Amino acid sequence: MLVYRQKDNLIHRLHPLTTVAFVGVIFFLSLLFSHPFFLLGLFVALGAVILASDSYREWKGYLKCTLGMMALLMLINACVAQAGSTVLMAGPRVPGLGNVRITLEELAFGAGMGLRLLVIVSVFCLYTHALHPDKVLKLLSRWGSRSVLAVTLATRLFPLMIEDFHRVTDVQRCRGVKFATGKFQERVHNLGPVASVLLLSSLERSWQLAESMYARGYGSGPRTCYTSELWRPRDHLVILALLVAMVIAVGAAWHGWSAYNYYPRLASVSRDELKTAAAFTFFLSVPAILNRGWKKWPWLQSRI
Amino acid sequence: MAVVTIEDLTYYYPGTEKPALENINLVIPEGQFVLVVGASGSGKSSLIRAVAGLIPDFFGGTCGGSILLDNIELRRLDRRSLVQKVGTVFQDPEAQMVMTSVEQEIAFGLENLGLPPSLMQRRMMEVSSALSLSKSWHRFVPELSGGEKQKVALASVLAMQPEILLLDEPTSQLDPVAGEEILTTLRRLNEETGMTVILSEQRLERCFHLADRILVMEEGHIVWDHCVSQPMTELTSRAGNSFLPPVARLFASAGCLEVPLTVKQGRRLLKSYNCASVFPAPATVHPQKKPAAVQTSCSQDLLDIQDLWFTYPQATEALRGVNLRIQPAEFVVLMGENGAGKTTLLKNINGLLRPSRGQVRILGRNTRKVPVEELAATVGYLSQYPGDYLFLPTVEKEIAFTLHNLGLRDDGIGQQLLTRLNLTGCVTRNPRDLSSGERQRVALASVLAARPKLLLLDEPTRGLDYRLKEELGNILLELKAEGTAILMVTHDVEFAAEYADDIVLMANGSIIGRGSKYEMLTGSTFYSPQVSKLFNNIVPGVVTLDQAREVLTHLTGFGKNRALVMLR
Repeated sequence: MLVYRQKDNLIHRLHPLTTVAFVGVIFFLSLLFSHPFFLLGLFVALGAVILASDSYREWKGYLKCTLGMMALLMLINACVAQAGSTVLMAGPRVPGLGNVRITLEELAFGAGMGLRLLVIVSVFCLYTHALHPDKVLKLLSRWGSRSVLAVTLATRLFPLMIEDFHRVTDVQRCRGVKFATGKFQERVHNLGPVASVLLLSSLERSWQLAESMYARGYGSGPRTCYTSELWRPRDHLVILALLVAMVIAVGAAWHGWSAYNYYPRLASVSRDELKTAAAFTFFLSVPAILNRGWKKWPWLQSRI
Repeated sequence: MAVVTIEDLTYYYPGTEKPALENINLVIPEGQFVLVVGASGSGKSSLIRAVAGLIPDFFGGTCGGSILLDNIELRRLDRRSLVQKVGTVFQDPEAQMVMTSVEQEIAFGLENLGLPPSLMQRRMMEVSSALSLSKSWHRFVPELSGGEKQKVALASVLAMQPEILLLDEPTSQLDPVAGEEILTTLRRLNEETGMTVILSEQRLERCFHLADRILVMEEGHIVWDHCVSQPMTELTSRAGNSFLPPVARLFASAGCLEVPLTVKQGRRLLKSYNCASVFPAPATVHPQKKPAAVQTSCSQDLLDIQDLWFTYPQATEALRGVNLRIQPAEFVVLMGENGAGKTTLLKNINGLLRPSRGQVRILGRNTRKVPVEELAATVGYLSQYPGDYLFLPTVEKEIAFTLHNLGLRDDGIGQQLLTRLNLTGCVTRNPRDLSSGERQRVALASVLAARPKLLLLDEPTRGLDYRLKEELGNILLELKAEGTAILMVTHDVEFAAEYADDIVLMANGSIIGRGSKYEMLTGSTFYSPQVSKLFNNIVPGVVTLDQAREVLTHLTGFGKNRALVMLR
């Protein structure tokens, strides 16, 4: 079923193009930067926007899972990498790995890559919970209406097929088909009737759907595109902030601050790098800042 | 507005030798509300598809004759012009939705017409207001109820502003309340906009009185073309009674000269017979006794539900302290609004769901730990979608499949069922190629193959015509006579009134009443058959058509006698 739920906050009321642009910029920058301070900046800004979109409950699930993966990443890197000069622990000899030696640099590199993973997973969370899939498809339909329609139909029919699957399984169980007991091969074999019914029902439904689309003129000539989304000052502000953040990011990359040397020893971070990372974080946090004002001052709601 | 003219229309679906439509000649003036009635497979849908231009363009096949819209032949109209003149709403709301949100679904047809966004917005606003959909614009389509989905389908078509609206059994998959709403909307549209409406429908008691004209179809022919200004007796004498709503069928079968279409008209007519205000109850008011053989051998309850509670994982409390007992050879109908817990109760009985508290006993055995597959030999379950059962290449294999799964031997039961359910002619046919009534009988056969002692049915009359409902009712009565207990969930009050013994009413997960149908289906505003409403406060305890016929014959005789006395 659709996990997106409309909520009363500014993030959910942005133009879909603005939200897509925000998600795209964060995703691009998370790939561009390996510098931990910039990645941290991305994470902080993204986290603020997710909280502003009232999606903390959903984000918590993603966080738990990704933090576990991050710990695993740090551990594996520490055991396997064998690089870095600040030794924290020297362990026994393990067959295949040699002498296990855990260094600060290995752990920091693992944490940095884990942070990147955290940003990517969180941006996916924001995309899923703060952006209606229909609106994204509608945006894309201007360029590829047929493929977008195919995706829309799949989105529309997937919950229907899940429902069908449960219903057909119930019916077949009432005819004595066993799905939960017996050998694995038997259970797979017993799913045959369910798959057959699902396939046959889907074919019948697709025929009816095609008939309905034909009767409503689909394919009768060039289509236009309906949209009820309005472009508001808030979208201008967010896009402007994203542009500034992008300019800062390109400038930082130009100065060589996008990368960071973890080995052999953690490189020092200059004051300028920190200032740039802070400015970059601020501009990416603009949607969250606007949301705060939007909630606090009613007059701002009417202005933006 | 357009005038539809059909001349000598004959149509064969691809690969068939029997015409779906044969020699149809028809003129439908603008603004008329036409009801097309007939049994399943009589050609109603084909006629609708022909006027919509789907035949032969979409379906292929061979077509003869012509269809004209305002004297322009349909074939000469390009598709974009055609869909702006003729809009079609189909049977299954689920299978005609393309987009995921209500707003986008309504816009879909308009986008196909290439309309500018400003015009789209205007039309969408108009149609949403007219059908009270404005608040549902941003809702996700799979989360809508069946009635809401059909309303969205209707809105999507109406937004294209067709001159002729075609509807192919639009309420057959809906519950009565949602169906009523759709039909009332159609009449309002017809009255207020003068739009021509051509409606094919099985729920005749709800729409017969709405129509200006009734077309009766049989085997691809229009056997009778009836205008409401003509006397109904002419219609019944030429085309029979089987497709009439209960009130009209009652008066027609009692040989009355005047045949009413609604309860209101019927009651007015009854009053004109000068009947006494208090009239004795009909002789058949008491429930039928169970067959003696069954009564003696079954002292134990077949089903005994004690203080049953059930809560879904999402914390929805669906059943609250349900107590229910059913004995062999009892036919009990479970009624109540959507979400009352009826289907959940059935699933707790057949083991698909397990009670949260309380217990379900079948033949004295607590079913809590009995697997569904083991219960299946005692408890048969027929869902409202017969298609969910059918996947094998022949009818006989479908029946054998159940026997094989339950480890039962075919001791001739397969052949018996084929004969009893009138399926001998399609033993080797693919069940998916059969008509809706035949499909349902195959699904029922596959359930009955296990000789269940308790048969659970979930909305089995949905989408069936009067003839098929009668066939199903008779099959169930035969099973009951053999000792099978039947528990059926339905919204179909007319069916329950004709065939059930007891009615159980559910609301908010609890049973709020149980009694004989004579007690439960009389004196109620909504849960009463048409004949009960007709005789309400005139003759007590009238529930079935046979009772009503008995009373009416008596009344009309009485009325005639009084009239004769007065004449003298």
